Amino acid sequence: MTHELLNGLSSVEAEQVLKLGTKLIVPCGVSLFRLGDPADRLFLTERGRIKLTLPMRVRGREEDVFVEERSPGQTVGWSALIPPYRFTLAATAALFEAEVIALPREALLQYFAANPAAGYKIALNLAVVIGHRLQLFQTMWLREMQRTVEVRSA
Amino acid sequence: MDMLLIGLCVAVCGVAFVALAFVAAMHSESWNSPAQPELPLVKAVAPARFFSDRAPVPRAVPPLQVPIEVLLLQIENHVRLEQAAAESFLAFPSQALLHSKTTSPFVN
Repeated sequence: MTHELLNGLSSVEAEQVLKLGTKLIVPCGVSLFRLGDPADRLFLTERGRIKLTLPMRVRGREEDVFVEERSPGQTVGWSALIPPYRFTLAATAALFEAEVIALPREALLQYFAANPAAGYKIALNLAVVIGHRLQLFQTMWLREMQRTVEVRSA
Repeated sequence: MDMLLIGLCVAVCGVAFVALAFVAAMHSESWNSPAQPELPLVKAVAPARFFSDRAPVPRAVPPLQVPIEVLLLQIENHVRLEQAAAESFLAFPSQALLHSKTTSPFVN
């Protein structure tokens, strides 16, 4: 399994990072974390899919609306490394049970301090993940805005 | 005398014939009326609009309310399509791809 967060790391470094974590099985439909929860662990998806949702009012009811899905190899919960360390989305295992590696923030920060070269690569990989999310949602936001403008000016 | 008798016979026969015809007519009327089938109502004929400028105003059809589970799936499908469109734009940024249309029912 190749994890996007560990790109560029040697196999020894990748192994060291993975040993910091613990494997978690998330049954289908069960929450990995909820919106607003303290984010003290970052997750690497090993198996299954993690569905990210946000609450939205639909017909007067609070519903979790699909935002994004993460596949094996992808990172979930990078809020664990970004202040204020709170999850801004909710995550559940979609369709089937999922397996993730939970990496505690404290253990990661200690590893980065002891291995700055590996920490630098991981930080760059994390920037790619966050940057992609930013670009994706910026584009989606602009598309929605364009439609709003068209409707308003029609 | 003969002429008088003939005239009388003709008169009696005439009266009898008329009476029979009257009875027969009354009978057929009273027999037919209960079984008279109800005729279907004829729809009001729309006024002719030949060479009219006015287009017919379509009657407003109330939207069918789909179950909330279906609605949530439609939202999910819309988000997935929008993400795919955004990914296409990010791979090859251009004005056309930025505002490309999707098949999502939310925007069509």
